[in-house]
Amino acid sequence: MKHLITTYLYDVILLGVAMIGIIRFNQQTLPFRILAIAAICTLSLVILEDIFIARYQNNAPIYHIEAISGYTFYTLIYYHLFTDKLIKRFVIFSLIILIPFSIYNAIYLQSFIKIFPTFVNLPTLGLLAIMSLLLFNQMLTAPSHVPLLRQSVFWYNSAILFYSTTKFLNIGLSNTYTRDPSLDNIVFYLWYFTDYIFALLQGIALFIGVKSYKTHAL
Amino acid sequence: MRYRDIEIVLLSTAALFTFVTGFIIYFVFLYRNRQLKNKQEQEQLHAGFRQELLKTRIEMQDQTLDRVSREIHDNITQVLSFVKLNLALVNTPDEERRTEKISESRELVSQAISDLRDLSKSLSLEHITRQGLVKTIQAEAARLTKSGMISATVTTEGDIFPLGEQRELVLFRIFQESINNALKHANACNFKIVLQYIPEMFILTLEDNGCGFSLAEALKKDGSGLKNMENRAALIGAVAVISSKPGSGCKIKISLNPTKNTVYPDGYSNSTG
Repeated sequence: MKHLITTYLYDVILLGVAMIGIIRFNQQTLPFRILAIAAICTLSLVILEDIFIARYQNNAPIYHIEAISGYTFYTLIYYHLFTDKLIKRFVIFSLIILIPFSIYNAIYLQSFIKIFPTFVNLPTLGLLAIMSLLLFNQMLTAPSHVPLLRQSVFWYNSAILFYSTTKFLNIGLSNTYTRDPSLDNIVFYLWYFTDYIFALLQGIALFIGVKSYKTHAL
Repeated sequence: MRYRDIEIVLLSTAALFTFVTGFIIYFVFLYRNRQLKNKQEQEQLHAGFRQELLKTRIEMQDQTLDRVSREIHDNITQVLSFVKLNLALVNTPDEERRTEKISESRELVSQAISDLRDLSKSLSLEHITRQGLVKTIQAEAARLTKSGMISATVTTEGDIFPLGEQRELVLFRIFQESINNALKHANACNFKIVLQYIPEMFILTLEDNGCGFSLAEALKKDGSGLKNMENRAALIGAVAVISSKPGSGCKIKISLNPTKNTVYPDGYSNSTG
């Protein structure tokens, strides 16, 4: 029951984030429009996860889709936020490598039907953490007139940094303690706590919706 | 064992959460410091810009006063002296001659009034703002041609759009400096001014047919005037390219993208900065 409440609360938060994304869609710049679409996709996939769990007691296929679709969306957002051409190329290159790898992984390494896609999640989370640090660095080299807490890009990047690092730990902990029911509970709540914060930070980024921090650069 | 595992999970999670949150808080402070530093630098640049603009205005006023003084001495004083002479001859008994002298004097006084009106207009820098760059340059070129000092021609291409008061003042000052150079150092007799208004680009070309100079040597010797022109152009976000060779005149091309943001405030505004 507690698990169900936790899961549904996540659905409600995601619904709220997706609604903010839809309502403020026209006022957003391209990267944050992509974020709004990503929020809608995440909501749809999470609902599908719930359905799969209820019907088949297995949501691994959705995780496979979620792993690569999330990375694609967040990478595209970074592609539009970065100004350095070399970093942009790196971002696209990582996507070109990881999409075929995730397909290969789903077919040959970690079955699409049964296994959680750890091999895709770990490199994507690592890459996202690197990208968030690179964007923080870029923000420092060209500070904007706009106060930091009123910049969508700051909230988005914080969300990614928080998500990529804590999820990395969560996956590690899940793999280690998955057989211990009491620890599994802790890991479960940690997992959702991370998801809540990630979704809320994305919601703030979409809600603030400053046109573009690049245009405010000094 | 179980408690130990729970401890590991909670501690590692808490450590990571603290580290990430700490990093973000540190970034917020670091960013705020950078913002403040940038703001200070920006303010310094603005102060420099305002100072340079003031210098430009003072130089323009000096040059205008010089010109006014010369005009009064060479033109208006002469005309009025001639009127005085004419009026001295009015006492003649010859009615026809008297009428002729009075008529001639009236024309001369009209000319003096017209010249004084032109001078009074040129005394004010505000008329550059009101008239715009093109009309001010055209008026100046007409005055120079009329004075016989040099033959100046103005060509305008494209649809004229305002460049902003400060930019136009600086461009006019560059024009004045190049005219001065053409008259004082180059002994030019022709001066071509081309103003090209292309969408998102303005190009001012100033060309004389004077004796020219070696750019490298001029910069070595006393290139402060040329450097001034380049610096002033840079001040408004424009690029000045000066080209000259001994015997083949001098050409100054100033390119400005008016839509491009400069670091200077009021770049487009009508404030006097």
